[in-house]
Amino acid sequence: MSWFLALFAPVFGTLVSGIDRVVRARMQRRLGPPLMQPFYDMFKLLDKRPMMVHKLHIVLGVMHFMALWASIALFMFGGHLLYIIFTHLLSVIFLILAGYSVRSPYSHLGANRELLALFAYEPILILMAVGFYLTCGSFEVSVITSNSPAIVSMPLMFIALLILLPLKLKKSPFDAPEAHQELCGGVEIEYSGFFYEVIYVSKMTEIIFVYALVFLFAGQNILLGIILVTGSFFLVNAVDNATGRIRIDHLVKKVYATAFVLALLALGWISYV
Amino acid sequence: MFEKFRKKSPWILHYNAGSCNGCDIEILASLAPKYDLERFGIINTGNPKQSDILLVTGPVTLKSRERLVELYSQMPEPKVVVAIGVCTCTGGVFRKMYNVKAGVDRYVPVDVYVPGCASSPDQIIDGVVQALAILEEKSKDIEKPKRLFGELTNNSIFTNRREMAKKIKHEKN
Repeated sequence: MSWFLALFAPVFGTLVSGIDRVVRARMQRRLGPPLMQPFYDMFKLLDKRPMMVHKLHIVLGVMHFMALWASIALFMFGGHLLYIIFTHLLSVIFLILAGYSVRSPYSHLGANRELLALFAYEPILILMAVGFYLTCGSFEVSVITSNSPAIVSMPLMFIALLILLPLKLKKSPFDAPEAHQELCGGVEIEYSGFFYEVIYVSKMTEIIFVYALVFLFAGQNILLGIILVTGSFFLVNAVDNATGRIRIDHLVKKVYATAFVLALLALGWISYV
Repeated sequence: MFEKFRKKSPWILHYNAGSCNGCDIEILASLAPKYDLERFGIINTGNPKQSDILLVTGPVTLKSRERLVELYSQMPEPKVVVAIGVCTCTGGVFRKMYNVKAGVDRYVPVDVYVPGCASSPDQIIDGVVQALAILEEKSKDIEKPKRLFGELTNNSIFTNRREMAKKIKHEKN
């Protein structure tokens, strides 16, 4: 089962992305693309003439995807939560290095913003792992998923994660690192054709990573996990449709003022209440 | 092998080569929820390296032509170019002015001409859908602007029936 989930995580992520686009379209009262649209995009990207800037750029992109996939695999095999978070951090750092390795100013600006976003969400993810340790007594995902739901003992931490969801999924109001209208995708701007495919797939895999973190809050209760994931999926899409983009410095300030404080309060709640 | 998927997910790059914004507004209207071009899988990417269709508006002003050719050459093949608006097709009312050259097909090879001032969203969608049929048959070879090299645009498609009969005449100067 865990082999299956780890191997096909990019495929599931693509499917979720297809559902995501349809749901977002229906929220705007339009028809939207077909459900399999992200797969069509992928097959089309395979058909383009290959163009690359330089080899290191491509290698860093591939390493970004491999590190992300490794973190998903660690998660599915019930590994150490801190290792998972740090492997994910490594993958983001590869992407940022790829952004800095080309001379496009858009790419540099995107990498700067990606770095600031990382600065905003990474401490909260680590605090979340600490919260899981305090409630379940272990960092192992297999132990956490065999315990009672962690959301009961740290609801504030779950709200903090909900605030992070748009940031990780590059959705409004926290989509300043990608910013399709001003940066045209930021760090991914210089990738094209088959090489963009790698970045595209890793964006899809990221979706699975984020919703796996949401699922973790349900512990052994799979039904509750499904409810949490579906609820947060619709919430993220509703917020994406209802809000506009905020500036990157406001993003960092707001995430620290809300999610970071909530995460600290949740840790205090576990320790003293 | 993957040729049939070209038609299913064409990503658009939209470039304003000195247009009055009339055609740009109509393009955005056709991408917006009312006409909803996304139901064909079309996304406005704004990034030449990841797009398949170049929508050009405006008579090509001398300032914008280098950027137009730059953007065109950055798009990986296969790609199609749709000229939107009468200025882009022939130069329109700006033809033979000192700061424009007549039409976009002097600089980049154009596949579909969509006339109109401004072209309506229906016409634009029609032009894009006809461009998709061309996109499916294209090879990955690098193309040259035919008009600049003295060849007429015999293979081009015109969305206006009257223009289609005549094709575009060569400019005098």
